Amino acid sequence: MTTGATRIQPGRPGGRGQGGRGGPVPAAPAGWWPDAIGLAAAFSMLIVVALWVRQHGLQDLFQPSDGLTSLGRLTGLVAADLLLIQVLLMARVPVIERAYGQDRLARWHRLVGFTSFNLILAHIVLVTLGYAATDNAGPVREFVSLTLDYPGMLLALAGTVALILVVTTSLRAARRKLRYESWHLLHLYAYLGVGLALPHQLWTGTDFSASPLATVYWWTVWAVAAGCMLVFRFGLPLWRSARHRLVVDAVVPEAPGVVSVYLRGHRLDRLGVRAGQFFGWRFLSGPGWTRAHPYSLSAAPRQDLLRITIKELGDGSGQARWLRRGTRVLIEGPYGQLTGAARTRARVTMLACGIGITPLRALLEELWYRPGEATLVYRARTPEDFAFRAELDALAAHRGVRLVYLPGPRAADDAWAPAGYGRDDHLLHRIVPDLAWHDVYICGPDGWMAAAAEAARRVGVPPEHVHMESFSW
Amino acid sequence: MRRITMWFTATVVIVVLLFSYRTSLGAGRAPARTSDAGSDAGANAPGIVSGPTANPAPAPGSTQGPGPAPTTGSTSTGSAPTGGSAPTGGAGNTVANGTVAQTRWGPVQVQVTIAGGRITDVKTLQQPNGNFRDQEINSYAVPQLREEVLSAQSANIDTVSGATVTSDGYISSLQAALDAAHFKA
Repeated sequence: MTTGATRIQPGRPGGRGQGGRGGPVPAAPAGWWPDAIGLAAAFSMLIVVALWVRQHGLQDLFQPSDGLTSLGRLTGLVAADLLLIQVLLMARVPVIERAYGQDRLARWHRLVGFTSFNLILAHIVLVTLGYAATDNAGPVREFVSLTLDYPGMLLALAGTVALILVVTTSLRAARRKLRYESWHLLHLYAYLGVGLALPHQLWTGTDFSASPLATVYWWTVWAVAAGCMLVFRFGLPLWRSARHRLVVDAVVPEAPGVVSVYLRGHRLDRLGVRAGQFFGWRFLSGPGWTRAHPYSLSAAPRQDLLRITIKELGDGSGQARWLRRGTRVLIEGPYGQLTGAARTRARVTMLACGIGITPLRALLEELWYRPGEATLVYRARTPEDFAFRAELDALAAHRGVRLVYLPGPRAADDAWAPAGYGRDDHLLHRIVPDLAWHDVYICGPDGWMAAAAEAARRVGVPPEHVHMESFSW
Repeated sequence: MRRITMWFTATVVIVVLLFSYRTSLGAGRAPARTSDAGSDAGANAPGIVSGPTANPAPAPGSTQGPGPAPTTGSTSTGSAPTGGSAPTGGAGNTVANGTVAQTRWGPVQVQVTIAGGRITDVKTLQQPNGNFRDQEINSYAVPQLREEVLSAQSANIDTVSGATVTSDGYISSLQAALDAAHFKA
């Protein structure tokens, strides 16, 4: 507060003028994209299986000598396709992100990842046994000769080792023990694993180059996956970072362990970011830059100024308060679906827990509503832990936001209200009697969000009017 | 930061070493196969190549099977196997090419040498070699098939387990060659 930085004062609807429209922004229709993308994924599976059938996969399956090999080929082909789908799921392709949201994509990525990995293991075992059967050799000897003599197979083995590394470090038990940075860097070995698997698919696999159609298909999928990854994970973020030249302008404490970072940049109106969205942030001030931290904007974006608010969790976020003015910042994003575009109702209720207030605070500034139509229910451990109190009070005064502060210790694992406030849904109903006709935005820790969403559902809010997004990794 | 550098360096070293392995750049081919199936594979016209009957090889139009037509006149020099060990043209020797049997893994064609009413040699002019697996299988299946033919003195032989496709093609091409040479077991 002593820095002399331009504080963001909530007042009339800000942002880029969106709030100035005469009514709630209608939700962008989800449209056909989710279906179309899901269909494309299913179709790619179909092509892979069809190509296998075309290569006599089915006939071979029922022959004693070729059955194992044929099944091994199928598992390998499906695994290869799933690996590329996995890369695409995490490639931050805008249309895919918009269709599903990053949190869902990350869940699927995990699911698809374990599936493809199991298929790879099955592929290795089946092909080894199948080849051993036709060669009248022991499986171990066959495995060694496969690895050492067949083209590209040593690389494939190395690729498998890389994938084993990635999968084992992603098991929940291992992930809890690893720092995010370590886990993330190890996860990059997945690209190596996928890449090292390619040569054996070309030179030893018969299906990849069996027909012109197969060749075209596989090269297309590879090119799309690699292209999307390079463009959307590297090219676009670097280009945006260079274009908007964000630097730290000021660091301001908000509450115990909570600081706001103000960032200046060029032409931020061209960034296409909305309140409720987040970026991956890399502060080029020291070793921590290898990790992009996902932080939501805590104020509606301005043409020259962004603000994020960070709770120090000891995962690198604790260094935020030591950021110097002028520190350069790289961004990835904007990402996130928790925006005004999700809104369909005139009345809106925000349920915030702890640092989860940040995107909701920005939304309250940007969204359009009449006095009394917006309610913020804000839960924190103690009264001192509420951030933005002055700003929220200003919003209440100027725009008629109803504020409900709920300080108190956590009651139970499946409760969203703090201890001492009675039953969850009763409380919610008491605070907002007509909640069933509201859009409900929820942000906080995962377990808390689940509890709050469940309470909202019990009070009668249809699922499509509950908007939330998970940030945990 | 130090650890990251070391991991990165180690990774680069390992990847470079991996790619310097002989099979890692696609050059890894099966160990040299038997002398047959020279670079002009496909240019061998089916029918008698040389022998007492001295029939020239049939004109391209009359060949059975989908074998590729010879580009030059089907003289014995143009279609003789490149492997030098065959006693071609010797008195009493008949050398005949089989038709090209198209299997799902590729073409198979054999050349049979008959001397004194016995099959004395079978050469494989073409065999599937589209990928390493085919080469690996054929490297043991083809010699085994040849042995079977020499001992059975006919095309009535068992297929080699694990190489059914090549075996079938081998047998059908062999039968065509024996027919062309009017060989009766």
